[in-house]
Amino acid sequence: MRLAKTSGIAARLLSVLITLFGISVFIFIVLRVIPGDTITGSLGIETGVLTPEQIDDLKRYYGIDKPLLLQYFSWITSFLSGDLGFAYSTGVSVLTLTGSSLPVTIELALFGTISGVIMGIAIGMFSAKKPGSARDFFGQLFGLLALAIPGFVLSTAIVTIMANKFGYFPNGYEYMTPWEDLWMNLQQMLFPSIVLGIAVAAPVMRTTRSALLETVDKDFIRTAFGKGLKSRTVQFRHVLRNSLIPIVTMTGIQFGYLLGGAVIVEKIFALPGMGRQILDAINKREYATVQSSVMIFAILFVTINLVTDIIYRRIDPRIK
Amino acid sequence: MISKKRFLVGGVALALIAGTLVSTPAKAASSELVIGSVLDIDKLDPHTSTNFATVRALGLVYSSLVEVGPGNKLKTGLASSWSFNAAGTQLKLVLRQGVKFHDGSTFDATDAKASLERILDTKTGAAGRANLLTITSMVAEGRSLTLNLSVPNVPILAALDGVNMAMLSSDDIAAGKVGGSNKPNGTGPYKFVSWEPTQSVKYVSNPGYWMGAPKITNLTIRVIPNESSILSAMNAGTIQFGIVTDPLIAKQVSTKTLKLFKVPALAYYALQLNTKVAPFNDKNVRLAIQCSIDRPEMINTAMLGEGAVSGPITSPAYKSDPNARPCPKVDIAKAKEYLAAAGKSSGVTFKALVTSNGWATSVAMAQNLKAQLARADITMDLDIVDQATYVPRWLGADFVATLANNGGRIDPDTMYTRYFTSTGNLNKVATYSSATLDANFLKGKSSGKTAVRTSAYTAISKELEDNAVWVWLATPYEYRVATKELKGFVALATGSLLPLRSASLG
Repeated sequence: MRLAKTSGIAARLLSVLITLFGISVFIFIVLRVIPGDTITGSLGIETGVLTPEQIDDLKRYYGIDKPLLLQYFSWITSFLSGDLGFAYSTGVSVLTLTGSSLPVTIELALFGTISGVIMGIAIGMFSAKKPGSARDFFGQLFGLLALAIPGFVLSTAIVTIMANKFGYFPNGYEYMTPWEDLWMNLQQMLFPSIVLGIAVAAPVMRTTRSALLETVDKDFIRTAFGKGLKSRTVQFRHVLRNSLIPIVTMTGIQFGYLLGGAVIVEKIFALPGMGRQILDAINKREYATVQSSVMIFAILFVTINLVTDIIYRRIDPRIK
Repeated sequence: MISKKRFLVGGVALALIAGTLVSTPAKAASSELVIGSVLDIDKLDPHTSTNFATVRALGLVYSSLVEVGPGNKLKTGLASSWSFNAAGTQLKLVLRQGVKFHDGSTFDATDAKASLERILDTKTGAAGRANLLTITSMVAEGRSLTLNLSVPNVPILAALDGVNMAMLSSDDIAAGKVGGSNKPNGTGPYKFVSWEPTQSVKYVSNPGYWMGAPKITNLTIRVIPNESSILSAMNAGTIQFGIVTDPLIAKQVSTKTLKLFKVPALAYYALQLNTKVAPFNDKNVRLAIQCSIDRPEMINTAMLGEGAVSGPITSPAYKSDPNARPCPKVDIAKAKEYLAAAGKSSGVTFKALVTSNGWATSVAMAQNLKAQLARADITMDLDIVDQATYVPRWLGADFVATLANNGGRIDPDTMYTRYFTSTGNLNKVATYSSATLDANFLKGKSSGKTAVRTSAYTAISKELEDNAVWVWLATPYEYRVATKELKGFVALATGSLLPLRSASLG
């Protein structure tokens, strides 16, 4: 039994390593295939004033004169040894850049997920309580609207209304970490988290509703009611708990997507997160920054999936 | 009946939301100005900077020998006076007295010479090098710097303006302490304090500035990567100054609460045609495009009315007359005549390279042009790519046609020599040169007389338009948005923030 469990986790870890290797090769190749390089990304049209000798010098400086295979191994071995490279434009190491941007993205994704899960489960339970009723209609309407309204529209609307009508736009101030100014940090995270939370809430709400409707018909629920338990107790202790697996799956996936998908929200709310870091680096063709940042995301994503798998096993011991 | 517990929880939640809404931090001190900018700077070396945001930001720290002032007139900078010899082959600059670098060292001709030598050094990769190539030698003596030139070159004076021509300390240059992670050390009105990538650049005023210490003592350029959010931050009072390029955002500025500065830019939009490849290797096809375009319609729709019809030269003193071109107004019948003359009565089809994010109205303009050209049976397919992909393709002339937003200069020589002379470093991109253009550029470069220069640049403009080398479209506006409390600021067509040195708040 224990052996089967261990070999299952080992197989999962192996697939994680293969996935990460594939991602590293993919991102390396994609960056070289798209037109432009670090020189044109840095100098723009002024690259036209450089002599061929100057371009050769710059290629040597950026290390893009070497064969591709050598470039890949040079980067991946440095990455594995903890050297993520540095951004040529700023002279700052990618590790330092990521050290300040990753916590912003994680905090945003975490708040977005928490608010999304709370909203999603609450509305899902609200809907599932009386299927086909007016409350179910409004619950499902929320799900539909939350899926249909793009994040940038909602973000822009919130920013414009709050700034123009209430003179309130905390993100216009310098970004504060929770350690520098917790109150300001929470204000700066409030609206972006709500926007992301609404996007998360829709699939969580729909998943919750279907899972609850499926569970509520089970024999053990009738038994719980037959024992004379209060409706609230049955709802939370028996129905919700036994519907958690699909909800946890959906939450894990959504959290992973939020890590990489918060770029637009980070832009509109001026949050210095990883999404902006990668987008800027792509525009400047800063290979080391893009490759290392994407790998960090990939590691986080597969780790979250792994943790989700482990949580399943805790929730439902039948899963091997 | 609401339970006590529910009431308390609800009360706390409401208080939290209300507290969030009202407890906006105190606004910036009266001597502090926060500027919102979509773009972050990308380096600290003024000589190699090409990014607009970097040029703007470093322009507060570094000074150049000459400056462009209001009305696009050349004025004194770190050079207090200058003179050319009669042949126009020697420029003598007298440098301002008592100017100090931010580290306290004195600025003199040795620093000026070392700075220009650094720009000319191929290892630097300086953006302005091409404009100084006629310098054969330099002599520095105290406050006097003499530039000896290989050919008469009067426009070289205007080329000495700007961040790419910044004056650096010769000691910093010798020690290799320029750019990278080295703290900028200039002679400008503001001292550099810090740069936090993707977040902000901070400055304090330079009390020893040669024009006197700026009244605004603390300056921050904050990166807010969305123009709509910049306007929101201005409306909320969290920032006091905004750099805006999108006409749609500029139109939303409420002048009841904010000031909007709007000046015609020197930059211009053009549909660059590749004259080396079909169908644009035929002049008649190019002229057909020229005649098919209704520029005011494009300005009124895609640019929301925020721009002006332009010819090739936007330099105010030598501005091209858009009415002097073939088909100054749209003329579809004439366009069809040109197509017939080219043997393409049934129309032509070509692909235009367009940047999706190079400027706010790029795709809208391309779509409008596509619709206009269709009226003359010309099919313009759009090849829309991101700016980072656009740049290398533009540099390699890897296009049949491309919609471009090119920078302008106050002197036509520095604006177009690099494109339209046969030896210009961007001639490959321009795809056109001729002996008469070379001769006229030399005529304009060699003379200090306005009448001679006007005649040369009028002839250049005429040749470019008569041959529809490119199809010049319009110039946009430069926008600045500021709090009503900002006094003494004048917006410049160059986009420079230098006028903040004379501004005050309140």
